[in-house]
Amino acid sequence: MKTFKISILLAISILGLSSCSDDDDPVLLDVESSQVTNLHAEQTSDYTTSPPTVAGEFIKFDFSSGNTTESSTDWDIAFRGTSILVNGGEAMGLVSEPERTGEAAAYIVDDTFASVLSISEGSFVQDSAEEFAITSGSGNGWYTYDSTTHIITATAGKILVFRTADGHFAKVEILSYYYDGDTSNDSQYYTFNYVYQPNEGVTTF
Amino acid sequence: MSNLLRMILNKNVFFIYFSILLSVSSFGQEIVRSSIDSTYTEELDEVIVTATRTTRQLSSLPLQAHIVTNKEIKNINSLRLSDIINEQTGLTIVQDHGDGVQMQGLDSDYTLVLIDGAPLIGRTAGTLDLSRVTVGNIQQIEIVKGATSSLYGSEALAGVINIITKNPQQGFGGNLGYRYGTLNSHDISTTLNYKKNKLGISGFANGNSTDGYDLNESDDLQTVDPYHNYTFNLKVGYDFSENTSLSLSGRYFTENQDYIPTEDLAGKNRINEWNAHLKFNEKFNEKWNGYLDFYTTRYKTDSYLNYTEDDSYYSDSFFDQIMLRPEVRIAFEPSKNHSFIAGVGWTHESLDRTDFSNKPIFDAPYVYLQYDSKPIENLNVILGARFDAHNKYESQFSPKAALRYEITDEIAIKGSVGYGYKAPDFRQLYLDFTNSTVGYTVIGYNRVPNVIEELEEAGQITTIVAPVTEFNGNLKAENSLGFNLGIQYKPSTSLSFEINAFRNNIHDLIDTQVIATKTNGQNVYSYININEVYTQGVEINTTYRPSRNLTLSAGYQLLYAKDKSAVNAFENGEIFARLNTGSPSFHLQKEDYFGLYNRSRHMANGKVFYNHPKSKIDANLRITYRSKYGIYDTNNNNYLDDYDSFVDGFAICDLAMNKTFSEHLRLGFGVDNLFDFTDSDYITSIPGRLIYVKLNINF
Repeated sequence: MKTFKISILLAISILGLSSCSDDDDPVLLDVESSQVTNLHAEQTSDYTTSPPTVAGEFIKFDFSSGNTTESSTDWDIAFRGTSILVNGGEAMGLVSEPERTGEAAAYIVDDTFASVLSISEGSFVQDSAEEFAITSGSGNGWYTYDSTTHIITATAGKILVFRTADGHFAKVEILSYYYDGDTSNDSQYYTFNYVYQPNEGVTTF
Repeated sequence: MSNLLRMILNKNVFFIYFSILLSVSSFGQEIVRSSIDSTYTEELDEVIVTATRTTRQLSSLPLQAHIVTNKEIKNINSLRLSDIINEQTGLTIVQDHGDGVQMQGLDSDYTLVLIDGAPLIGRTAGTLDLSRVTVGNIQQIEIVKGATSSLYGSEALAGVINIITKNPQQGFGGNLGYRYGTLNSHDISTTLNYKKNKLGISGFANGNSTDGYDLNESDDLQTVDPYHNYTFNLKVGYDFSENTSLSLSGRYFTENQDYIPTEDLAGKNRINEWNAHLKFNEKFNEKWNGYLDFYTTRYKTDSYLNYTEDDSYYSDSFFDQIMLRPEVRIAFEPSKNHSFIAGVGWTHESLDRTDFSNKPIFDAPYVYLQYDSKPIENLNVILGARFDAHNKYESQFSPKAALRYEITDEIAIKGSVGYGYKAPDFRQLYLDFTNSTVGYTVIGYNRVPNVIEELEEAGQITTIVAPVTEFNGNLKAENSLGFNLGIQYKPSTSLSFEINAFRNNIHDLIDTQVIATKTNGQNVYSYININEVYTQGVEINTTYRPSRNLTLSAGYQLLYAKDKSAVNAFENGEIFARLNTGSPSFHLQKEDYFGLYNRSRHMANGKVFYNHPKSKIDANLRITYRSKYGIYDTNNNNYLDDYDSFVDGFAICDLAMNKTFSEHLRLGFGVDNLFDFTDSDYITSIPGRLIYVKLNINF
């Protein structure tokens, strides 16, 4: 997995909003737009059992560091196969499911990545025993499965908005589920763009 | 799933364009006559029964209608009905569980197909496969466009295709035809005919086979597997008197096709279809005519698949549909300019098939009335309506009005407006199917409450998307209001020109929708009235006969077929796409919406028929073109937009020649798909160039 960080000073607008008030303003950190490529979220499925046995480690990701992590508490979201869970809410009882210790939540909005400029507090949901906050299944969440070609496409216009385990906000657009974005390569490799708002309590991007 | 698709393709794809062979049989007398007849008189004689259920001269009809004559069928050496339909203006054959016709931009589900006025059944997935029908014993094909439910009830929403088979001809005669061509394709037809005084009998038999073909060499599977089929037809007519006649006809079709969907599986598909039609006609007097029809038909398929390795069982399926229909019809013609026709009948249908938990029965009595008049010299008005009751869905009232006004001897204007509907089919009401490999479930509308309850009790449901209470009512019939407005211009006997604009507003279109999600991550689907769709366009036809031996014709259709909710979604900026995987998504604009799948914006054809009387050679060249169309949402945003992959536009050119040696012998030669067009990625139904020879013997 590689992470690129490009500082694009999206924070300017935020700074601008508060620049007329007094000099005690805290210095806000830059909002950064980054890309994660080829995050490998391997999942194995054994179809000889009924129901099939799905296994594999969930790969945990931490927005503040922009990296995957092994930490049992300091993570925000985790990937395995097409499933994405958040560090907040109830366990579903899956094999290798990490324990949720934070306050993370998520929702999906139909828009372009650049157009999502603020969060909608009321839309956040956490994982539950029945369903992930990022709902699974073709057409229900972030991807579409084509039963003819067997290709999983990141559905265009699906922007994932997250509250992190410690109450920050991030937005994500998943671009591809295949190594180097080539559907003839192996699947279970995520490439996504994200913007993390490093400033506590700031709800805009 | 790709296996499933493959099976489907293998099963029937076949026949489209796949003009294997098919000698068109004809009677000796006709051959002689057709070489004598001038084309002019033939045109005047063209009469059509489908449009009004009475004999009407085609050129004076206020409706959009077209006839394909026996002569044309014979000269193009066509084999199956799908071959001919595909060459007609505004019609194209779409491969989807069989070769179905697309008319005025509407799917095969919405065109009623009749043989001698009685419906063909056997729409396993909506499509009526026209390649089932041999053209060997066809007198003419009548095509009526625009909603015609006012006469025919369900399915006559886009229009009606009626195949008129030959009646026994005076005297004794027979015919043997044989066509052999590329892909080791054989087609043999024979007719025996007898008519003397009151009794007429004609028998027809056809056998058709091919080795199939392979467009994709990279695997061990064939694109189309070998098959063979047979058609038998017997017609008996008896005239008790000048005013009383009886006819009985029976038809039987059987087909066997290999079924090799994967390298590990092999099996067979078998189709058995028959119909019987009894017609009784009593002419009471000059004004009153009575008809009694009794029709029954059965369509049955059986398929199985075994493992190739040890021949052990893998799967099997069947489909068994039966229809029975008595009808009484009265025609009343009080004066030359006014006529009425009224009918009352009853349709009884049942279907037994794999994945049905019960054997549903449909009962539908109906009544219709039509008034055809010429209130003034240049004006023809037709008013009609039909009422269909039904035991399983809402009753339907289908009115229609049409008129034609002759402005001058050369110019006439005609227009019609009609209601059309298609009843929900058995599958949409009663299916209970779970895909054994992928795990999704499809439930018919009426079965939803029960099946969802069963699935919930079995702990297989995660969430309910559409509450079960939504399925307590009745699924509505898909219905449409169709408008046609046209101008006919005939400046001389050798030149004619016709333009017609059409618009079909379809409501309550039935579509599949996710109603629940399952614990295995798959969805449960059912059928629901959801969409509003429209198709609109313009059709142009022109024919020019510079001499009695040369006919040039051209046709064109412009088509826009769109889903109204999709148009709205694009307008509201709710639809997104990516340029390629890995690039960010962007909003699509209204103009990026292409429309419904499988619709070409432009379709055109051009035909040249030439007859050289001295050498007794006739030859023809036909070109059909369709512009690009989408078959698949390649960027997975659920809509066909300009950023999806399209099937490129293409043209197919066919050439046919025949030489008549004597009253008894005629030889033919031809090339279908002259320039060897194929598209192995998207079009599995076009096999490439087919060269054939044909022999026809009359006795």
